[in-house]
Amino acid sequence: MGQGKSQFSEEELQDYEDLTYFTKKEVLQNSTSSAHHKFKNLAPEKVGHNKNAKLPMSKILHLTELKVNPFGERICKVFSSGNDGDCTFEDFLDMMSVFSEAAPKSVKAEHAFRIFDFDGDDMLGTSDLQQIIKKLIGDNELSKNNMQRLIQNILDEADLDDDGALSFAEFEHIINKSSDFLNVFRIRL
Amino acid sequence: MSGGDKNKKKAPHSQGWEEAGAEFYQESYPSNDVDFEVLQRDPKHLATLLPSKQSRAATFKRIRGTDNTRTFRRQTSSRSRQESFTRRTSTLGDVQVSMLPDLSENLSNEQSTWEEIMRIKALPVPMAEKREMKLKLQSEPNLRLQGYEQFKWKRRKILDKFRSNVKEKYSKLELWKGEMKKIEGNFGTGVVAYFLFIKWLMVLNFCIFLLIFLFIILPTILFNYEEELTCTGELNSTQCCSAQYYNQSFSSDSFFLSLVQGRGWMEKTVMFYGYYSDRTFEYFINSTPMYYNLPFSYVCMLLVMFLISLFAIIKAAAKGFKERLIEGEGQFYQYCNLVFNGWDFCIDNEKTAAIKHKAIYNEIKGLLENERIQEEKQNRTREEKTKLYILRFIINLIVLVVLASCGIAVYFVFEFSQNILKQFDSSENNSYLLGNLKELFYEYLPSLCIVLFNLLVPFSFRYLVTLEKYSPLFVIRITLIRTIFLRLMSLGILLASLYLRVNCELKDDVCYSSQCTPQCWETYAGQQFFKLIITDFATHIIITFLLNFPRSIIAQSSNSKVAKFIGEQHFELPKHVLDVIYIQTLVWLGSFYAPILSAMATILLFFMFYIKKFACLINSVPGNIIYHASRSNSMFMIILLGGYTFALIPIFYAISEVLPSKSCGPFRGLNTVWSKVINTFNLTPSWVQNIVYFISTAGFAIPAFLFLILLLYYYWAINSANRHMVSVLKNQLMLEGHDKQFLLDRLSMFIRQQQESQRKMRHTEIMRASGGDRNVASN
Repeated sequence: MGQGKSQFSEEELQDYEDLTYFTKKEVLQNSTSSAHHKFKNLAPEKVGHNKNAKLPMSKILHLTELKVNPFGERICKVFSSGNDGDCTFEDFLDMMSVFSEAAPKSVKAEHAFRIFDFDGDDMLGTSDLQQIIKKLIGDNELSKNNMQRLIQNILDEADLDDDGALSFAEFEHIINKSSDFLNVFRIRL
Repeated sequence: MSGGDKNKKKAPHSQGWEEAGAEFYQESYPSNDVDFEVLQRDPKHLATLLPSKQSRAATFKRIRGTDNTRTFRRQTSSRSRQESFTRRTSTLGDVQVSMLPDLSENLSNEQSTWEEIMRIKALPVPMAEKREMKLKLQSEPNLRLQGYEQFKWKRRKILDKFRSNVKEKYSKLELWKGEMKKIEGNFGTGVVAYFLFIKWLMVLNFCIFLLIFLFIILPTILFNYEEELTCTGELNSTQCCSAQYYNQSFSSDSFFLSLVQGRGWMEKTVMFYGYYSDRTFEYFINSTPMYYNLPFSYVCMLLVMFLISLFAIIKAAAKGFKERLIEGEGQFYQYCNLVFNGWDFCIDNEKTAAIKHKAIYNEIKGLLENERIQEEKQNRTREEKTKLYILRFIINLIVLVVLASCGIAVYFVFEFSQNILKQFDSSENNSYLLGNLKELFYEYLPSLCIVLFNLLVPFSFRYLVTLEKYSPLFVIRITLIRTIFLRLMSLGILLASLYLRVNCELKDDVCYSSQCTPQCWETYAGQQFFKLIITDFATHIIITFLLNFPRSIIAQSSNSKVAKFIGEQHFELPKHVLDVIYIQTLVWLGSFYAPILSAMATILLFFMFYIKKFACLINSVPGNIIYHASRSNSMFMIILLGGYTFALIPIFYAISEVLPSKSCGPFRGLNTVWSKVINTFNLTPSWVQNIVYFISTAGFAIPAFLFLILLLYYYWAINSANRHMVSVLKNQLMLEGHDKQFLLDRLSMFIRQQQESQRKMRHTEIMRASGGDRNVASN
């Protein structure tokens, strides 16, 4: 398929198809709705001659969905193989695969948890929750009292073992009970 | 969720991708080489070392870093020996034998390897790592499948491939994909659900039309049916009446006028009931006669249409219903849902993002506020309470009065326009164009009146509801219910006045009573629905493009408050949903009398999509009400079901009770439409009749009924047992959590004590040593 195909071998494409929720065509196609096309558009001068160029986080955040997403930076960090937010095409493909419609709930939940887990202690503690809420409401201010009440309410609802933080199991429990999660945690190619 | 499901879910999680995450995911997740200092300071870190925390897929390293011989776990956990070993070292003695791996099982075959590879994609590890895993799996020795197994596996692989191919092709062909993305980016998933609903309705109508076309319209055209136009015999016989009807010359209205009224040349086409024949067509295949009973298929198509619609609604609703059931105590997780599912990841527009931030902020505040209101509610004094209740009662009364007066108005307008129209009929010497226009106006008067009410009255409802001080969610619901009543009621009045016209006493010697009934009342009814749909559609166009569009321009061009007040519009989902469902209800009501309606609705809904898209993207700004996709979906279906029942009842009454007109249509000369079905049934072979009779006897009905009740009871029992189980498990989970907490605290306390004693010991040692040194020095 044109110049796109010349960059990747058939073998690599097969790998991508097997290892993500995309088909070969969705990975690579000259139409506007392929993962590689999207990636290339972020920095045409770099990706043009080096298919596996590593793009800095600032470039990745040019993707409109990530740009306006309050968790954009977190998403980049979670999917970046160097943990610094810079993404290669493969990292980007991983990201898009998880956000695609075909990815099952459990996979999405796993990544959502990692995105929300700001301090990386594998628990959503009070500080994590506070950061999530702050990012969610953007420029609006929530009074300290209200913030505390909100966090307390969340913990009351979901913290089954009363340890003051949400573990993955508890988080997954919430996700399983919410029918909107699959609709919301999704970026179309 | 049942236990089985849970196990399935856990399976991919608990696979041992131990090394996998090691290099790439060192997000400071603590592991075995965590500094003991940290542990002692904070027992929480100890908690992250618990095996339960380790069971998740490759987010962090395993504790046992030494064994490199680990293989990936196969489908069942029993085969992973290493796992079991480390977990059960305490009881190793007695279990060891059973833990020994079954060698034949341990060698994977092609299929399981392939399954493994397919499962890699679910792992949260980077691509390079995944590729390595795949290579490793592929290079492992595996058994070739034999015979049937091989065939089965091959077939499965091909099927999978085929399925994904079809899916890909379908997604390329998918209607309005780009539009959906755009709406989603601007308004979020809740509003997209509405547009998907329009699409769904369009497809449904298309299916209905396809059936009607294949089984009613196509045969009629194919058999090129010509009505017998001679009148022999009695004057009031069916034949003579038909002759009278079909030979009647229609007023030479202009083409356009006929088109919008469904009269003139349109009346005698396949579009309306009156055109269809009452005959059984006879044709020959290889000189054996075959029969096609058109009237019977006409009734059947009606039944099939209702059945298909019901099935489609239930199927769509059941999906939403299931989700709601899983949500269970839905409100229970409202805060969590808001925070964790609050952001629409599809949003790609900065303005929308800002509004979304605001909306989430508002909802958070609203929820917290609501809590306070609840408290306040309990503290409301008796006096305030009674005041509020009286106010609500009065407002409900007002609403009822408004509804009733609308109904009466529709009725009188209908009567009025009919009377005037009758005058037109009797005196046709009006000036040509003016008369036609006047006639058109009166023809459309009832429809216009209904549409007008539908437009204006909801505004007053919206104002009234603010006085009642309900919670915001309930406000949406109650305005919706009132508006539905308004719409259905005006339709109902129309139906009733139609019925009054149709159901007047018929003398034996006439084809129709010229005083009240139209010559072919079914076609007449079809025309009414035809006109209603057209009027409704036209108003949507006018309102969207000629009224709301200028308004939005005003709002965008100036910043003043007045302009904002006049021009700013939000996309109010409930109102727009009603618009579409109204059309669908008309289709259900009218399809029997005007088979073409479903085709019309398909086309109109297609355009409706663009009209609503325009209303949404260009006229409106994103509102600060968050619509949740799942919740709105079930709302659509419930309202649609309401419209369905509303359409079902009068239609079935008409079929089983009302006398069909003598001069036209497939059922002329019969007492009711249903008698055709009974007549056809009587012609079937006797064993079929016997079976049906048997089914209707008590001997069959009572056991069947009992059986159904038992089945119901069985499911109810299972349900309640599951519920109980859930609560038991939840309690257990909580207890375990507390136990864990307790033990961890103890452990950390113990560690601290130990450390302190060590420090003391070291301290004394040092003291002693230094003391010794000093001694040495002094020596």
